[in-house]
Amino acid sequence: MSKKLVTGNHAAGYALSTAGEANRNARGAVCGIYPITPQTEIVEYVAKFPFTKGRVIPVESEHSAMGVSIGASISGARAFTASSSNGLAYMVENIMVAGYYRLPIVMVAVNRTLGPPWNIWADQSDTLMLRDFPWIQLYCETNQEVLDTTLLAFRLAEDRRILLPALVCLDAFIVSHTQMGTDLPEQELVDRFLPVLDLPHRLRCDKPATMGGLVWPQEAMSQRLEIDEAMERVPGVLEECRTAFAEVFGREVTGAVETFGVEDAETVLIASSTIATTAREVIRNRRAVGEKIGLLKIKMYRPFPEAEIRAACRTAKKIAVLDRNYAAGIGGIFWWDVRAALQDCSPSPLVQGYLTGLCGGDVTPSVIDQVIGDITSRHRATKPIWMAIEAGKEKSR
Amino acid sequence: MIELRIHGRGGQGGVTLAKIIATTRFLQGDSVQAFGIYAAERSGAPLQAFCRYSREPIVNRNLVYKPHHVIVLDPTLVGPGILSGLKAEGWILINAPGSPAPFSERFPGYRIAVVDATAIARENGLGTRSVPIVNTALAGAVARVLGFELKWVQSALEHLGFVGGNLTASSRGYDEVTVLDTPLDSEATVEAVKPSTARVPGFLTRPSGELPAIKTGQWATEQPRRQQMVPPCNHVCPAGNDVQGFLQALAREEQDEALAILLRTNPFPSVCGRVCPAPCVESCNRMGLDGAVHVRELERLAGDRGQVNIEPMTERFESVAVVGSGPAGLSAAYHLRRLGYRVKVFEASDHVGGLLRSGIPGYRLPLEVIDREIGRIVELGVEIVTGSPVDRNRLLELTRSYDALAVATGLQELRSLRLGLEETTKVVQGIDFLDRSRRGEVRVDGEEIIVVGGGNTAMDAARSALRLGALSVRIVYRRTRKEMPAIPEEIEQGLEEGIAIDFLTQPISLEELEDGRCRLVCRRMVLGEADESGRRRPVDVPGSDFSMECHRLILALGQSPDLSVFPEGTEVRQDGRLIGLLETPVFAVGDLATKDGTVAAAIGSGRRCALHIHKMLFGNSLSDEDRPEDWVDIWRDVVIEPDSLKMHLFERRPPMEVGTLLPEARRSTFDEVHLGLSDLDEAKRCLSCGVCNECDLCVTYCPEGVLKRVGHRFEFDYAYCKGCGVCAAECPRNVIFMSHL
Repeated sequence: MSKKLVTGNHAAGYALSTAGEANRNARGAVCGIYPITPQTEIVEYVAKFPFTKGRVIPVESEHSAMGVSIGASISGARAFTASSSNGLAYMVENIMVAGYYRLPIVMVAVNRTLGPPWNIWADQSDTLMLRDFPWIQLYCETNQEVLDTTLLAFRLAEDRRILLPALVCLDAFIVSHTQMGTDLPEQELVDRFLPVLDLPHRLRCDKPATMGGLVWPQEAMSQRLEIDEAMERVPGVLEECRTAFAEVFGREVTGAVETFGVEDAETVLIASSTIATTAREVIRNRRAVGEKIGLLKIKMYRPFPEAEIRAACRTAKKIAVLDRNYAAGIGGIFWWDVRAALQDCSPSPLVQGYLTGLCGGDVTPSVIDQVIGDITSRHRATKPIWMAIEAGKEKSR
Repeated sequence: MIELRIHGRGGQGGVTLAKIIATTRFLQGDSVQAFGIYAAERSGAPLQAFCRYSREPIVNRNLVYKPHHVIVLDPTLVGPGILSGLKAEGWILINAPGSPAPFSERFPGYRIAVVDATAIARENGLGTRSVPIVNTALAGAVARVLGFELKWVQSALEHLGFVGGNLTASSRGYDEVTVLDTPLDSEATVEAVKPSTARVPGFLTRPSGELPAIKTGQWATEQPRRQQMVPPCNHVCPAGNDVQGFLQALAREEQDEALAILLRTNPFPSVCGRVCPAPCVESCNRMGLDGAVHVRELERLAGDRGQVNIEPMTERFESVAVVGSGPAGLSAAYHLRRLGYRVKVFEASDHVGGLLRSGIPGYRLPLEVIDREIGRIVELGVEIVTGSPVDRNRLLELTRSYDALAVATGLQELRSLRLGLEETTKVVQGIDFLDRSRRGEVRVDGEEIIVVGGGNTAMDAARSALRLGALSVRIVYRRTRKEMPAIPEEIEQGLEEGIAIDFLTQPISLEELEDGRCRLVCRRMVLGEADESGRRRPVDVPGSDFSMECHRLILALGQSPDLSVFPEGTEVRQDGRLIGLLETPVFAVGDLATKDGTVAAAIGSGRRCALHIHKMLFGNSLSDEDRPEDWVDIWRDVVIEPDSLKMHLFERRPPMEVGTLLPEARRSTFDEVHLGLSDLDEAKRCLSCGVCNECDLCVTYCPEGVLKRVGHRFEFDYAYCKGCGVCAAECPRNVIFMSHL
């Protein structure tokens, strides 16, 4: 084990590169790259990596970066890329194509505010705009989790029962540009964890085929149903992958959700990414003085882990969902989905949404305290509450 | 957990410093974080970086609000902001020269440390001169102040791949930091964090209705400024012309303005546009690009086509006498009259113009050009009397009735060779020959002519003789073509017309033959050591004598000043003034004062004389009056070289053709050889070296829109100028430069 002080972007670049290198004895690795703050260091890392069998292809736009990955993946290479924010918006058409082609591409996305106004800091609205496409979505909290989850995502996506692309998300700057001690596994371990890719529907010269041609409604709808069935299988396969990960690397990687103190909690806070870190510490301190509060961290957003959420909220009377994202006309996107997931629970808990830390605002322990103060004294839910950024603090951004 | 905040500027390595400190602790087993605050800022913008370290795992994902210590990478960032949230008794480590004491007074209650990391970085070649990278020197200072061992920092640096100068810088930072760890008493730390507000404040609906302003100018470490330098053409012009100025006026197609600019310094632009050897062309920075600008032809064009009314600037009561009406005398008279003096010119001969009229043949300078430009001087109010010689006694009289005198009698003593036959018509002086030619008093039909000499008079006499019917003309000159003082173009044209030149040939003797012709005995020469004029001295080759025959010999060996007009006991000082017994200021002008011998030098001498006289009579210097309105920040007395121009930004555009008569056509006529330029497009080739010509590339390319031109004035909005340097990089003529703050 070699622990190094690296940024979240470095961790992501390392995971993508070693995963690509692990396919050197099959059809190699390909990465189409196009820079955008705060993701650029990831593709810079990949571009410098000495692949035994691989190509890193600089292109003129995010749309083409995904296009390159699609072409490479169809021909059987382990394909991946990275992007962020408005870059993802420009890439959308091909993101959708990758999903419906059932290509196990892994993309690391650094969550950044969509402009305008121009703002480069953390906000999940960019990847969440992709929520209805056939992509697995995973949200990470630390540099180590970014690295581990990226490796996990390849194994999950490439599993023959799944064959769906996966998105690994991390907060801009708070994770992407913060140096922290991170365990960078040897290539040999990555090789052991990631078997070479054998894409069943890859293009072959001896079996010519056309992909994505015109089909009748019946066939097209069947294809949608197959995707839905594959999505259904994701939680089970994810658990298998986690077990394999722990065997190879000797440490756990978080699954679809992670809970802390929910077993007896009357109040549960639901959060993702780095907000979960801060919330966990506040809750740890409050539980230490006897408060019945728990945390549910949602790591996998798609497929949405409905069963795990219902299980974690079994004892909860009040649920506060913290969203660093915003769907216009709705509010927090996690909140909306959590509310739907808990729709027919009996008795039905109070679910309140809180919009916090949007556009890179710092979600400090005192913000979490305000949320807890609000939810514990609340008797009925209202529309989502916009939590103030503390005056004086946003200035330093 | 210990938290540090670093205040720096983009490009100084602040984020890397956070990483170095974090690595130092990480290698000692601590849990660490290092991060910066990133935005759209580029180089020079103030930014912050942070580091936190702890023996326990760190679960804080927030910014640092209450740092234990702060590090300031740039002394210009020292302000109240660095205290924000800083814990009492914290260290403030500042990159600055000198002592920590002044900072201690400013920040009571804190421990202060100071290290001159900028000097250390520069001495170790880290970064650039304008942006030294100071982080490794500061890392050493941090180790000292926070009590880490230096070797920990150095092993962190090695771990991160820093070597050489960075390691030296860190140990010097460790050794050289000076600390003041007994803080002055103070009130408790001001709490920077205000209580939270109830809701998110409006952006478009804020009460004042204003959007937030970010004065990006405070990020700048450099600011653009403007300077004006001296173009080489202006620098070398013997007449003192604003060459770049009139060329740019022509380039703007303002030929009247071009003439007005020329007439500030030179009453004879049409003359100089024909006869000047044009050192401006020789020095033109465009030479190495695609050929020099045809400055002389453009001066001729401006002089011939421009329309300008010249009037005296004022009227004064003092009167000045000018002796001699050659170009120097008339230049002095013109400038004195423009300054408002009453001026009277005394000319010994019966015509005005001196050598302009008598010494330059019509194929180079038509009489109507001379008449036109002298007419302008007379119209200005200069009184000229001809047939009025001034000798020593008359000069003394003039000093009693005038306030000042300018003496421009030129070169009167003709040099000769004792060859024999000097007293006959077989030998004539070139100057006399040219004068008589001008007056139509001489023909040399069918004669073989030999001209002795290598200057302009020799060339003029030879080419005139050809036009006056000579059967053949040959020049004998004792040096080589390289040493000939004549204008190279004139030599070239003479050769085209069929004139032969015998180089390295010294005439020895002349004798008359029975058929009325003469035999000139000559000797071959070789070039020896350089003489006092810098030219190599010709040396006899013994036994090499040979002879040639001719009908007439023309001597063009140069002239010497006749100083007998000046009273005994006086001498000519360097600025042309006579010193000695006279109370009235008397100045020698033109060939009496300079050695250049060109019309342009005579004009410049006349102008300097006028300014000297004005200064003596009026106690005022005019040196700055001709400058245009003050629309630049800095005037520099530096001649701009091609290396200082951005040649790649100029379009390649070869010089325009200048029309000339064909050699066959011109042998028999005194019509002008040069036909001049057909239009003023040639002026658009002028690079305007070192002088803003309002090309506005800077305005076009300013990415921030903070540069605009109002009339001739440029305005930089320094409140928003980030100092990116694009305007300076795009300025083709080096007018905009970046000034370090």
